[in-house]
Amino acid sequence: MRRLFLTLTVLLAAGWCPFALAQSKDPVKIGLSAAVSGGSAASGEAIKRGLQIAIDEINAKGGVLGGRKLELVVRDDEGNPQKGVTIARELVEREKVAAVFGGLHTTVALAQVPVWLELKVPYMGTWAAGTNVTRNGQTPNYVFRVSANDDYVDRFLSRYAMDSLKKSKPGFLLENTPWGQSNEVGLTKWFGEKGVKAVGVERFNWNDPDMSPQLLRLKNAGADLIVLVANAPEGAQVLRSKSKLGWDAAMISHWGISGGRFAELTGDLSDGVTFLQTYTFFGKQNERGQYLLKALREKYGVKEPGDVIAPVGTANAYDGMHLVAMAIEQAGSTDGAKVRDALENLKGEYKGLIKTYKRPFTPEQHDALTDEDYVMVVWKGGKIVPIAMK
Amino acid sequence: MYGLVALGYHITWATSRTMNFSQGHAVMVGAVVAYAVFVGLHWPFPLALVATLVALAGFGALVERVAVRPFFLRASPAWLLATIAVGIIAENVAQLTFGKDARAFPSALVRKPIMIGSVGFYPQELLVPLVGLLLMGLVQLFYHRTAYGKRLKAVAFNPEAAGLMGINIPRAVMASYALSALLAGVAGVLLAPLLNVAPQMGTIIGLKAFAVAIIGGLTSAPGIVLAGLGYGLVESFTAGYISTRAREIVGFGLVILVLVVRPWGLLGEKPTRRV
Repeated sequence: MRRLFLTLTVLLAAGWCPFALAQSKDPVKIGLSAAVSGGSAASGEAIKRGLQIAIDEINAKGGVLGGRKLELVVRDDEGNPQKGVTIARELVEREKVAAVFGGLHTTVALAQVPVWLELKVPYMGTWAAGTNVTRNGQTPNYVFRVSANDDYVDRFLSRYAMDSLKKSKPGFLLENTPWGQSNEVGLTKWFGEKGVKAVGVERFNWNDPDMSPQLLRLKNAGADLIVLVANAPEGAQVLRSKSKLGWDAAMISHWGISGGRFAELTGDLSDGVTFLQTYTFFGKQNERGQYLLKALREKYGVKEPGDVIAPVGTANAYDGMHLVAMAIEQAGSTDGAKVRDALENLKGEYKGLIKTYKRPFTPEQHDALTDEDYVMVVWKGGKIVPIAMK
Repeated sequence: MYGLVALGYHITWATSRTMNFSQGHAVMVGAVVAYAVFVGLHWPFPLALVATLVALAGFGALVERVAVRPFFLRASPAWLLATIAVGIIAENVAQLTFGKDARAFPSALVRKPIMIGSVGFYPQELLVPLVGLLLMGLVQLFYHRTAYGKRLKAVAFNPEAAGLMGINIPRAVMASYALSALLAGVAGVLLAPLLNVAPQMGTIIGLKAFAVAIIGGLTSAPGIVLAGLGYGLVESFTAGYISTRAREIVGFGLVILVLVVRPWGLLGEKPTRRV
């Protein structure tokens, strides 16, 4: 009881003292709601690393708003939408965060969308690619994203298939989930724009061991290209089944196969499989890339680019954090509505990891990255190698 | 491939009228342990195999001791939930120690497919049913030809009489659990190169193996092995000619059909009710 009084007294003194220097130097808290346990733990860890490295960098240069340090508050949403909503409220109402970053799951991101508007706190997506996370119909829209967007991804993949590979008979092979569903819509739309129709659409479930029947049907339908939407374990089984059929059709893929241990699971079968990323740590790095690899090595023992777990999470989160810090600085406050307005009208440019951002967000566009920023990469001897695009 | 796992249900059912519902997880533990010693510690394969089998027999004995015996002795059906609980614990422990990612289990037998016409298969896929049949034969020999096997059968037949004859029933039940987990371990090692090793691999295998055990008849080893082969064929034909999405529907629909028409399974013994 006595300790309680003491604490209260101290708190009151800090709050009431008109000269409380401590208050202006209070840290600015930044929230993260992502899956850091369970099946997608690697994605959460990757995002955390990207945020932490950016935060350390900003703090080393004096923080924001005249010397206030940034501080990361991580909450595990377990990929569970209800949990995500609880966490969103807790981060804002108890931790008083200035902005919240999001994780891998589109379902969680969607469930949280109304909360940001209600509590007036900006949200920055770093992974979940669902099209309607950012295009959510809300005004003002508090949801921003530095990541892929399924709609752009599908346009990117279809253009690559038709323009670079000159294929006109794609067969879609999709996982039987909302994510696969949303890409079926996008792929059909963007291939259809050029008058190309899929010769077949096949689906598979998580943990399916054998994809031969689906592939056989696509093959018999005359597909000259497989467009894959899968995560690493199922993607690996697709490749095995494909080799069992002795089918050598080309294959392009959404970024799901970059998580997990795709190369290890497939061995040399993965050679030539082409997919997209928002960023790759393989190949020549810009200044930020070199800095990140160094920081990853020193802080997390990452020896080489191949050891960077779930690389897009780290890359997206890193750039996203810098953009949010810029917005806080520009707003001159941590007030959510002001930071949101600043994000939509960012002045000056940020030479980031993925690209140089010049007014990345507008009232109409809340995705900082579009298909112009994606890179096509290919598996080669267990490594991800960038492909030069025309 | 399911037959081998399903045999494990039969073995414990035959001795104790209980089952290890974490049988699928035992497959996973087998794959994970084999991965740990073979890939992790670079043990030669025969040694790794033996180590895995020993570990799995231990796992089976442990399941019996903590999740079955306390309830079995009281004739309480709580072993059902308790064994499921052990499986879930095993899965989570594996996630903590092994990690959540699927890992590749190297095997020379999945490197190059053998092509017959336009359809290929891996030698490893051929190995699975062969080993399954072989083990079924061994299990049958064990029950009918060895003294210990006969003792286990006696326990199944009439526990009270067997107990009076000096057979240590708890030990017999434990032995059957060890044997059943050991078979699951063999399945785990065989399947690892095909399915990859992942903590969450166990659940669906366990469920389908249970379906196979029901279809084949819990009391009949040959029935189970036949049902295992048949179930696999039905699955691939459904996936090939109808749709992959219909596969589980047809497979488990079959289970219900068998339960309605022949509740004791295809080759199981029809239970006679004693009055």
